Amino acid sequence: MPEKTRRRHKNFIEKTIVGLAEVAEQALYAESLAKADGLLQKLDARVKVIGLFSLIVAAALSKKITIILSLFGLAIVLALLSKISPVVLGKRIWLSAFLFTGAIALPAIFITPGEVIYRLPVLHWAITAQGLRSALYLISRVETSATFAALLVFTTLWTQVLKALRTLGVPVVFVVILGMTHRYIFLMLQTAREMFESRQSRVAGTLPAKESRRLAAASVGVLLSKSFYLSNEVYQAMQSRGFRGEVYLLDEFQMQKRDWLALAGFLSLAILAFVLG
Amino acid sequence: MAVAFGVQNVTFRYNDIIALDDISLTLEAGKRYAVLGANGSGKSTMLRLLDGLYFADSGTVTAFGEALTEERFADDDFAYSFRQRVAFVFQNPDVQLFNPTVFDEIAFAPLQLRWEKQCIRSRVAEMLDLMEIAHLKDRSPHRLSGGEKKRVALASVLVLEPQVLLLDEPTAALDPKSQSQVIDFLIDWAGSAKTIITATHDLDIIEDIADECLIFQRGKLVAEGKPQTILRNETLLRQTNLIHAHRHAHAGGEIHSHPHLHHDHTHDE
Amino acid sequence: MHIPDGYLSPSTCAALYAAAAPFWYVALQKVKRLLSTRLVPLLSVFAAFSFIIMMFNLPLPGGTTGHATGAAIAAIVLGSWGSILAISVALLIQALFFGDGGITAFGANCFNIAIAASLIAHFVYRLAAGSSPLNSSRRIFAAGLAGYLSINLSALITAIEFGIQPIFFKDATGAPLYAPYSLAVAIPAMMIGHITFAGFAEAIITAGVVAYLQRTEPSLLKMTAPDAVIDSSLPVTQSGWQATRSLWLGLALLMILTPLGLLAAGTAWGEWGAEDFTNPETRQQIEQASSNQAAPENPPAGLERLSTFWTAPIPDYAPSFLKSEPLGYILSAMFGVGLIILASLVISILTRAKRVSDA
Repeated sequence: MPEKTRRRHKNFIEKTIVGLAEVAEQALYAESLAKADGLLQKLDARVKVIGLFSLIVAAALSKKITIILSLFGLAIVLALLSKISPVVLGKRIWLSAFLFTGAIALPAIFITPGEVIYRLPVLHWAITAQGLRSALYLISRVETSATFAALLVFTTLWTQVLKALRTLGVPVVFVVILGMTHRYIFLMLQTAREMFESRQSRVAGTLPAKESRRLAAASVGVLLSKSFYLSNEVYQAMQSRGFRGEVYLLDEFQMQKRDWLALAGFLSLAILAFVLG
Repeated sequence: MAVAFGVQNVTFRYNDIIALDDISLTLEAGKRYAVLGANGSGKSTMLRLLDGLYFADSGTVTAFGEALTEERFADDDFAYSFRQRVAFVFQNPDVQLFNPTVFDEIAFAPLQLRWEKQCIRSRVAEMLDLMEIAHLKDRSPHRLSGGEKKRVALASVLVLEPQVLLLDEPTAALDPKSQSQVIDFLIDWAGSAKTIITATHDLDIIEDIADECLIFQRGKLVAEGKPQTILRNETLLRQTNLIHAHRHAHAGGEIHSHPHLHHDHTHDE
Repeated sequence: MHIPDGYLSPSTCAALYAAAAPFWYVALQKVKRLLSTRLVPLLSVFAAFSFIIMMFNLPLPGGTTGHATGAAIAAIVLGSWGSILAISVALLIQALFFGDGGITAFGANCFNIAIAASLIAHFVYRLAAGSSPLNSSRRIFAAGLAGYLSINLSALITAIEFGIQPIFFKDATGAPLYAPYSLAVAIPAMMIGHITFAGFAEAIITAGVVAYLQRTEPSLLKMTAPDAVIDSSLPVTQSGWQATRSLWLGLALLMILTPLGLLAAGTAWGEWGAEDFTNPETRQQIEQASSNQAAPENPPAGLERLSTFWTAPIPDYAPSFLKSEPLGYILSAMFGVGLIILASLVISILTRAKRVSDA
């Protein structure tokens, strides 16, 4: 089959491989940012979890677009201070959120009842003030929350996030499961990629639909069987090293003065936003 | 001569397939054993019975004089004592590296055995230096190479200073350099674990890592002996599927096929 | 659909966290009792598995692709409680680590995708499969149906959560603060995509994996069918995929017959003619059904007409939601898609017959 045809019909195998690769890449990238020498990186993980979460809640509660946008501005400032470039945030977070939520919000501009402020030239569709406000609320909230969440993930190693959750009251069993899940996601990513890549090398052009579906279901089935096998082996490995039902962890956190200051800062900003908005 | 493990008329079924068929053997403390056999011979299963991960359907497995049963392991003191004394290194390191970082992995075993925290921290630091993986301590397991994973896996069990080391196919799926590192490690290991039992089908290494060999086939123990003796017994090796015959060339240009091992060589001394 | 932050008001989010909590608690107790120490490795691995599944692009009719959540297959293999926990863990990692789904909306996402879908899938599967043998094709059908219905129920609940936002949460000028669409718009908008693409994706995966497991490892299906046996007289392998064909047929018939059924019920009582399709009355209907929102200047006229085709004949004393626009849209979509599936089935049967006769 000529090269051109093959590239045009991107089959589902390719799409899946690309998707899986993106996950691995995102994880690696987050890890590299978390090791940079920036403001948020230096803070205790618990402070970041509580602080950024309270700012997300503040953005959710606010009834004024100006307040939400100020919080967004705060997020950008924090990003810059943590050596995270807005370009990166734009490519990875803002753009896709804007396109997705923008597409959802667009019809609202026209169909929300209220004071008409403009009519489109040819179609005579009316844009209402309330429609615009509603769309702005939605988009700004989505972007602001997504940015704060990204700040947490990009400046904190995953293991630190888990430990923070642990000391903030999440039961140990969940924290252990979360950690183990995260670790095995990467193993499965690799297995899934290998499965699909080996299939891909034997496929020229597109697969007929029925064949594709069979492949998809079989891949899922194979992964499922491997999952059970893997979990049995992991269970034995855990038992072999003394696991008997309860997991014990090493708590390593110590708050420093700057952590307390940061915590106070986050909380007061969140409360301020709440009071003002 | 203290007996480390005793196995008497043990049968074990796995999903209605007989994995071990009326096996009896004795393993002495302080000796190094190689359990040989092709895939499916039961050698992995035997190791897991020795580590109290599976329990025999009939017959008894004893360790340090005590019978290994599920009820026995329900007792905290026995369980902790056994888990500290016997270490198992799995064939696939991914199975054994289930913690978020290398540091957490090495700390896992002592934490589960309720050691004191400061003691754990210093012991983990020791192991990191000993295995030369200190630079990896914050790394996630999926970002380690095969050889590094193996070293972390070893560290994570040796941290307890066990008396017995069980290894399931330690050289499988490793590149040659990592393989030789593992072998060297086992040869030089002057640590506490004096009893080492390795399940393998890699005949190249048994002379270096074992004093005694046990050969399994289809769930039965078919032969015992010193490595040198076993290696010379071509018939036995071929019957138990431990060596193969395929066409190959010799230096003189001759091409033929006969059973062989791949490590025959001479030194010019 | 994974709901991002900002679409649901904080009170809605809090309410859904509160709704999810008892399910999480019960699930943990039940799973602990059932699995005890195996719980940690089994759930972790399974959560990783469902995370990966959510990323698979699945080939669908018409050359499109879609995503499945894997909640139904998780419920069939692990049972509903195990599935609730495993999917919740996967969702948490998606939200925290990959920004897929919001943090304040996490409770809502778990309620919709992990909890509701798992429970419904399990229920439908057990009901439809009955006590048939583990390797019977009836189970494959039951699995596909469970997948299809569970994801659509998820979508419906999500749509309702969206739809009630503008009712309760507006600012001083009357602009909606969160999701801006009323029930009349949100429900059809969400459902059309799920009745079709997402529903098929989930049905394919659930049925296909059960078929695969019947061949390779039927013991994995035992947890939700403890009394079922393996009937060794049943033909193996190919019967799996023949059964999915009957699944498609079943779905197609469901989608065609429901609207037709409603139509028939209507004509038994009402007298209607073409004049029911003209604009003035239906414009009024739209406004009424859409919480008095002003109708757009240029409604999608064709769709509008089609939708009242199904709902206009419904007698006046029927509950108002049966006469509403949204239901009409949904029924139109169902009928259309049902026709498409039926057509492709017929074509594939015909072409196969032709190929056989050519050979």
